Amino acid sequence: MVPAIKLNDVSTVYEGEKRPAIRDITLSIEEGEIVYIVGPNAAGKTTLLETINGLLPVFKGDVLVLGLDVRKYGRRVRCQIGYVPQDFMVDPSEPYRALDVVLMGRYGKIGVLGRLSREDKERAIEAMRLLGIEDLANRPVGKLSGGQQQKVMIARALAKDPRILLLDEPFSNLDPESRGKLSKLLIRLNEERNITIITVTHDIQQIAGSHNRTIIMDSGRIVADGDLNDVLEVAEKIIPTSFWRGIW
Amino acid sequence: MVIWLQYAIFQRAIIGCIFAGLLTGLIGVIVVRMRLTTIGYSIAHSAFAGAALGVALSATVDPLVTAIAFSITTALFIGPVADKAKLPVDTITSIAFSLNMALAFIFLTLSPQVGLSSEVASVLWGSIVAINNRDLIFLVALTSTVLALIYLFWKELFAIMFDRRMAEADGISTKPFIYFTIFMVGVVVAFSLKLIGGILVYALLFNPASSALQFSYDMRKIIVISPILGIVSCISGFFLSLIFDMPVGSCIALVSTIIFAISVILSPKKKRG
Repeated sequence: MVPAIKLNDVSTVYEGEKRPAIRDITLSIEEGEIVYIVGPNAAGKTTLLETINGLLPVFKGDVLVLGLDVRKYGRRVRCQIGYVPQDFMVDPSEPYRALDVVLMGRYGKIGVLGRLSREDKERAIEAMRLLGIEDLANRPVGKLSGGQQQKVMIARALAKDPRILLLDEPFSNLDPESRGKLSKLLIRLNEERNITIITVTHDIQQIAGSHNRTIIMDSGRIVADGDLNDVLEVAEKIIPTSFWRGIW
Repeated sequence: MVIWLQYAIFQRAIIGCIFAGLLTGLIGVIVVRMRLTTIGYSIAHSAFAGAALGVALSATVDPLVTAIAFSITTALFIGPVADKAKLPVDTITSIAFSLNMALAFIFLTLSPQVGLSSEVASVLWGSIVAINNRDLIFLVALTSTVLALIYLFWKELFAIMFDRRMAEADGISTKPFIYFTIFMVGVVVAFSLKLIGGILVYALLFNPASSALQFSYDMRKIIVISPILGIVSCISGFFLSLIFDMPVGSCIALVSTIIFAISVILSPKKKRG
């Protein structure tokens, strides 16, 4: 079976920089897997996500998503990926309603010249309902709280009906109750729809107790990959102790 | 005022005002939302360089034709050069602005006429009363084309205006739409030259759109309000110029700025906090 994501010796360099933000990454993620990517700041976690969805150009190596080369088929690949960026905040004066933003998740799939159908709107509303924000549909998105805006962005990713979800710090602006609900929702979506879910977090407490695959990154490299308890032992020796404070 | 309306020259001017206001108000929303703010004056000044070239070439070429050619050429180059140079569009438009001003002064020096000839001045200041039936047909055709294109690609433009990177992440190829917008601005500026002039056309690009943004949180309403304010600015400015015997372009810019000031004061957005 074709893996959902396959990276072969991949390095990504930001424009104007000499040092790769991620280097020599070789990684395979099967369809339907839940993977956490953990690491300190500047470990290369966001760069890895944006390399996978082709928003950042690959400097070296190959990235295949659902069997397609991201360099050649970037647009097609992105239509299958729901992406939630880190700390995406909207200016309070932005003239967009929350529902408008969620519907944008459907645009890539509809294609150029395609029009939004009733089904597209139903999908968007359904995604908002899953996150408990359907009553915010007609509110200006910039007027919502940080946590509500984050849920709007997650709903936008879900409205796409994606095969892969790339979530960059999706819990960061949420209260503990919302974090718990989101965790359960993601597990449910993974089970019901077989969505591959890759979640980046620098908050290792968030995934403590999880038995899902965990990748630890540091300085642009993968330093450990496996079950959380197995990788922690390895990673603990490599990553500064300050990062682990409070987890045990 | 009613007496003026009996003359074909004024009827054409009013129809020209309606379409120019509608067109610039429409495009202005996209330009303002995509933060392509320098593009208006850069392309307007490329028209100035083009007109100066036309004058330098003496009677062989109509300065308006060279002005339009320069505007559209500049619009075609800005997007790809910005991508190639990996610099913001605004930076490249500023470079294009200085280049075109330099060329304009060189062409004026080469011109057989002394100082700013009436042809160059007409491109700079515009003259809506000089609009003829052929110009009107062009303007109506251009407005219809722009309306149709915006209708067809509305969802892509809508997403890019919200956030270009997220639009890209959702599978929209944003680059062609950015180029397309810059090109549309070039064409709109070029064809508005005769009406309100190269110097003041960008007042119509930015002021109605910025005023409309004061009134709503819904882009669908803003894209309707902005052209209405564009039309109101154009027609009011035109009549003001007739009443007080002042340049049309200046009056239109003045009215649109006053509308913007009133919009800021009355903005319901501010009241809601």
